[in-house]
Amino acid sequence: MSTLTEARPTSVVAAPEPRRWAAVFALARVEARELLLQIPVLFFSLLYVGYLGWQVWTSDREGMNAFPVLQDADRATQMPPMLIAVAMLICANRAVLRSRRRGTDRHFDVLVMEPWRRTVAHALSVVPFAVAVALAVAGQFTWQALKPGAVGHGSYAELAVAPLSVLLLGVLGVLLARLIPSSFAVPLLALGGFVGTTLLTAGVGNPRWMRWLWPVASESQAEPLPSDLLGRPAAWHVLYLVGLTVLLLWLAVLAGGGRARLVKAVAVGSAALTLTGAVAQSAGDSPALREARVRASVTPEKDQTCIRHDRSTYCAFPEWTGRTEDWAGTVRRVQSLAGGAAGGTPLTVRQRVEARDYGLDQASTFDPSRTPGEVTVGTRWGGNRIPEFAVGVASVLVAGDEEAAGQLCDARTVVVMWLALGSAPDPMTSLKNVRLDDSVSGSAIVLAPTHPLSMSAQQTDVVREMLERPRYSITVKVKANWMELTSPKTSTARAAELLDVPVPQGKEEEEDECGA
Amino acid sequence: MTDLPTPPTVSAAGLTLRYGSTAALDDVSLRLGAGVTGLLGPNGAGKTTLLRVLATAVPADRGAFTVLGHDPNTTAGRQNVRRALGYLPQTPGFHPDFTAFAFVDYVAILKEMTNRAARHREVRRVLDEVGLGDVRGKRIRRLSGGMRQRVALAAALVGGPGFLVLDEPTVGLDPEQRMRFRELIASAGEGRTVLLSTHQTEDVAMLCHRVIVMAGGVVRFEGTPAELTARADGRVWSSTERDPGARAGWRTGTGSFRNVGDPPEGATLVEPTLEDGYLLTLDASDAASASSSEVTA
Repeated sequence: MSTLTEARPTSVVAAPEPRRWAAVFALARVEARELLLQIPVLFFSLLYVGYLGWQVWTSDREGMNAFPVLQDADRATQMPPMLIAVAMLICANRAVLRSRRRGTDRHFDVLVMEPWRRTVAHALSVVPFAVAVALAVAGQFTWQALKPGAVGHGSYAELAVAPLSVLLLGVLGVLLARLIPSSFAVPLLALGGFVGTTLLTAGVGNPRWMRWLWPVASESQAEPLPSDLLGRPAAWHVLYLVGLTVLLLWLAVLAGGGRARLVKAVAVGSAALTLTGAVAQSAGDSPALREARVRASVTPEKDQTCIRHDRSTYCAFPEWTGRTEDWAGTVRRVQSLAGGAAGGTPLTVRQRVEARDYGLDQASTFDPSRTPGEVTVGTRWGGNRIPEFAVGVASVLVAGDEEAAGQLCDARTVVVMWLALGSAPDPMTSLKNVRLDDSVSGSAIVLAPTHPLSMSAQQTDVVREMLERPRYSITVKVKANWMELTSPKTSTARAAELLDVPVPQGKEEEEDECGA
Repeated sequence: MTDLPTPPTVSAAGLTLRYGSTAALDDVSLRLGAGVTGLLGPNGAGKTTLLRVLATAVPADRGAFTVLGHDPNTTAGRQNVRRALGYLPQTPGFHPDFTAFAFVDYVAILKEMTNRAARHREVRRVLDEVGLGDVRGKRIRRLSGGMRQRVALAAALVGGPGFLVLDEPTVGLDPEQRMRFRELIASAGEGRTVLLSTHQTEDVAMLCHRVIVMAGGVVRFEGTPAELTARADGRVWSSTERDPGARAGWRTGTGSFRNVGDPPEGATLVEPTLEDGYLLTLDASDAASASSSEVTA
């Protein structure tokens, strides 16, 4: 008979449920740290941070950045973090597969924490990255919202999309690892998804229901719209993303062997959330919304608030009323150079949108207004839009209305360009920017809120000469010869004589343009 | 077979597991108490399968067992068995980019040690215990094979398990490393139940207070090493030529032959070793299997 001593008591004792979850959180912390050290996560995170830095760095160079429209600024936060979401998809997948790849699963499978709890920990390890993206998104949006030129309203739902997408793709990576224990699953599925989507898009187009199934529903709209005309089901989309994330997590837990009653209850709830969100976000625009878009496009005055600055009236959609002072500044600047009655002509600056074809990714062209003294302004401001608006104001001051301004040529074009650019901080740069070909010589199209203007090579030469000379000397001559300079009978050559700048060559070309 | 005092740490009865038509375990019953128990057997004897069943990695088709009184057939019981278990698999895997500390800490978390400070203390303790205190910050990819094996042992020891399952831990180690490992296992077996699967009879002779011999999924012997050695009493002899009647025989370093089997009249008997007892036990198993086959045929 052999003698056996009593086994010493183990220090590992049964843990209560809260402590079991504490272990899951501890594992999630370790896995999050491991994720952070993965090359794709580091690379894409640096790229994202670089993008944000670049946005801040270049914010002063592109004038429009100083005047953000917040209902667009919130959506602009969605796409860049998809880099991190993709990194999460790849690296969370690899993290789950690490045990299999390294042969530790034989050992880990007999440890206390069950595979399904490890699955939850892997999903939770993505949370810090989602939180980091949420903070970055909040910072990016707050930075935009605090700019003095900011208008409009952001949506919390739109801001939630990026962090939720990071979470969703991370959980998808975990699920794929549990279903298909191979590192090739993610790239193959991504390829399959791409091909499938391409074929589906070729077959049925890109209908709304399909667009909104993606984490980021891209709906490009070149010109900002009032937020109540957007009709984006952002809140439903958030519900859909939350439901889908929980649903995928549930599937991963199930694949990891989880069978708790709570897991089943969560499954039903998340499936219901996903379905509700998916159905609700797929519904088309309501008749009321379509009607509101038509009203805002055709009869904007019904929805606008008008504010008086000096002698002119500025009518804007409610979210843009704070910007009327900027418009008034440009009008004041243009009128200060005008002679005759034009310097004091009361104008009506009317903001316009084209919301009937929602989703257009090219700037809308507004029909010129026939109302005397009415100038169109869009929903963007800053950068090129300021000299473009100045051209619109100057055109109406010279021609009377926007419709007539479309027929401007000869000396009047010279005057319009002088009024528009003469008092700009950097007239030559503004001239270059406002011309479609970014040149300061030869003929070109000049951008304006409605119809563009044509500038001949001769007119360009005269305007360039004027802009290069001291403003005061030209202003005096323009005001002194206002009547003749704004007469349809005055040629560009005569204008040059009156303004004492070299008379341009190429008279025939000008006659061809204005002769009609 | 010797009687065991009650209660044993591990008690198994009628464990059977088949892979297709092959019986990996065939009605295995055993009882283990504190100390190191060696599990000997040729390749395919069912040693690893038995260890995996006892470690709750795979369930048996039939039979039952308890570890420290916990029944792994229930969810709660299985958790309790796992809490009491330290397992070193035959070919332990590692996360090569982890440091030794991080890897053992990871295992400690999977053992649900939630108090961070206490866990880190415990990880440091087991790393010191296996002699890796100085290299705990080194990545595993930079450690030697012997050091890696010690990391695996530390991972098995973390949390102070009451039942330690070691599947051929000394395979591939050089003699010095094997000696070091024996010290560690001996130390681990103080007041704890250790089941050590090995091909090395010296390991069993030097470390184990009990030994189990398996062959063909069946326990062929269970007892003390001395009892296993005693099976060869009077069945080992030396001769100047290899004895054709011996079950096994080989020339020793002195030039004489050492024979194991049924000695002829007047043979010069020599002191048997544990390996002799082991070989004769296996030989008897083969003979029994062969005669059983003949009967069946």
